[in-house]
Amino acid sequence: MSRRLPLSEGAGVLILATVLSPALWLVQMSFRHNADIMSTRMIFTPTLENYAALWTGEFPGSFVNSLLASGLSTAVSLLLGVPAAYALARWRFRGERHVALWILATRMAPPIAFTIPFFLAFSWAGLMDTVAGLAIIYVTFNLALVIWSMRGFFAAVPRSLEEAAWIDGCGVWGAFLRIALPLAAPGLAATGILCFILSWNDFFYALILTRTRAMTAPVAIVNFMQYAGWEWGKIAAAGVMVMLPVLVFTFFVRNYFVSGLMAGGVKE
Amino acid sequence: MLAAVTLGPALYLIVTSLTPLTPVNPDTAFDFSDPAGNYTAILTTDEFWRSVWVQIELSAVTVATQVAAGLGLALLLDRPSRFLEVLRTGFLVPMVLPPIVVAIIWKILYTPDISPLHHLLAWLGLPIHSLITNPDTAIWAIAAADTWEWFPFTMLMLLAALQMVPKEPQEAAVIDGANALQLFWHVRLPYIRPTLMVAVLFRLIDSIKAFPLIYVLTDGGPGGATQVTNYYAFEQTFSFSYWGYGSAVATLMVAGVFLLSVVVNRLGGEAIDE
Repeated sequence: MSRRLPLSEGAGVLILATVLSPALWLVQMSFRHNADIMSTRMIFTPTLENYAALWTGEFPGSFVNSLLASGLSTAVSLLLGVPAAYALARWRFRGERHVALWILATRMAPPIAFTIPFFLAFSWAGLMDTVAGLAIIYVTFNLALVIWSMRGFFAAVPRSLEEAAWIDGCGVWGAFLRIALPLAAPGLAATGILCFILSWNDFFYALILTRTRAMTAPVAIVNFMQYAGWEWGKIAAAGVMVMLPVLVFTFFVRNYFVSGLMAGGVKE
Repeated sequence: MLAAVTLGPALYLIVTSLTPLTPVNPDTAFDFSDPAGNYTAILTTDEFWRSVWVQIELSAVTVATQVAAGLGLALLLDRPSRFLEVLRTGFLVPMVLPPIVVAIIWKILYTPDISPLHHLLAWLGLPIHSLITNPDTAIWAIAAADTWEWFPFTMLMLLAALQMVPKEPQEAAVIDGANALQLFWHVRLPYIRPTLMVAVLFRLIDSIKAFPLIYVLTDGGPGGATQVTNYYAFEQTFSFSYWGYGSAVATLMVAGVFLLSVVVNRLGGEAIDE
């Protein structure tokens, strides 16, 4: 094993650079003057004019909508999912296997299968083109993830600590809020961030279930492409804005990301 | 409540799929006069079968390339090194980027005027025409972008699995004179096979949901060359307003995904039992 390529570090760096180069190209494009965008010269005078142009259009509003829908769905999913996960981790239920199956089902089903019923129900309930409606959709998916991953984190908290709290006069809720929750706080943060990223990244539901008022940032970018002609500088700048929060958050949850995406797929 | 959230829409979908619902004509909402109408129409439509074939092509190619690239890189980077651990985080980038941003990145790469790729090839004396407007290459262009986006997923899963392989059998095999290939095939592969199966299952199912890339790069074109079943259902429902018909296609997709996961699960189970 130790005889293996002493070069794997070098090869790894090269491969990573190649893999990331398309994304970096987008970033440098966002800082070019529009007249400069077709040129391949790597030396150019950077400009913020693309970002300034974004600021005056409908993009800031859609960015706020994205923040609201993702934030709201994350908050609601944690509020409902965390106590449920705690109950699942501490008391045996008959439906335990069903939870895993349910998570897998929400993870597997093609979004188009959910979109048609939601579209019809939302039109009827007046939830079309609202941030609240979008948040409801995201909750149905995030809730499964929250219950699954938080159950794992609570299971890792030693039970004896809560039993001691019960003896000291804490109720079940008291032990949950004062002992289990603080101990599972890192897991809670990771789960919340993961929910936020998954909602933030959504394009399909937002495309279909919003029009103008609740349009999210990913949909706004596509509108630049279709209606505003090919303003590549502006498109690139919007792309950078949309990916920035995700990259920052990912850095914090880098160790949980893959297991989060596989939730429900592997037995613990 | 959990069940209501998931089963409610599913039931509604099936009910809708039995009606000729279209928003143009409200009377069609609960018209069950010809419940199998959509299904017989789908199964006799060439466009549907073509979309299934495009889907199979795209899924087979992307899953294969993602597993191959992911496994190759995982083996390359599987060494206890602080540096490589940091490097791994970098590989998260393509898969965490918002899919719409991935689609923009590749739209830029595939648009000859502004593409560094096209400029580079022209400079090397190998100019090529746009890959996404050519019906013969469009599907491969999508597959390349999809592979870029998702090979880190298989790679990181397999890296995690490789690190769980116990050291003793590997050392014993090396002492017995096993070469690198034998070591991989006989010692490490059996340990990582369950993870490999899970990775394949997840990628296979996700490949059926691929949407933003196709929407932005080709819009299902040219001439339906990249119109996968998911996109077909989307167009029928939301572009042409055939709600009942679209629901029926979606129902068939759910059934297909379910069957697929059962089959892969069983194959995976056998692989583990061996």
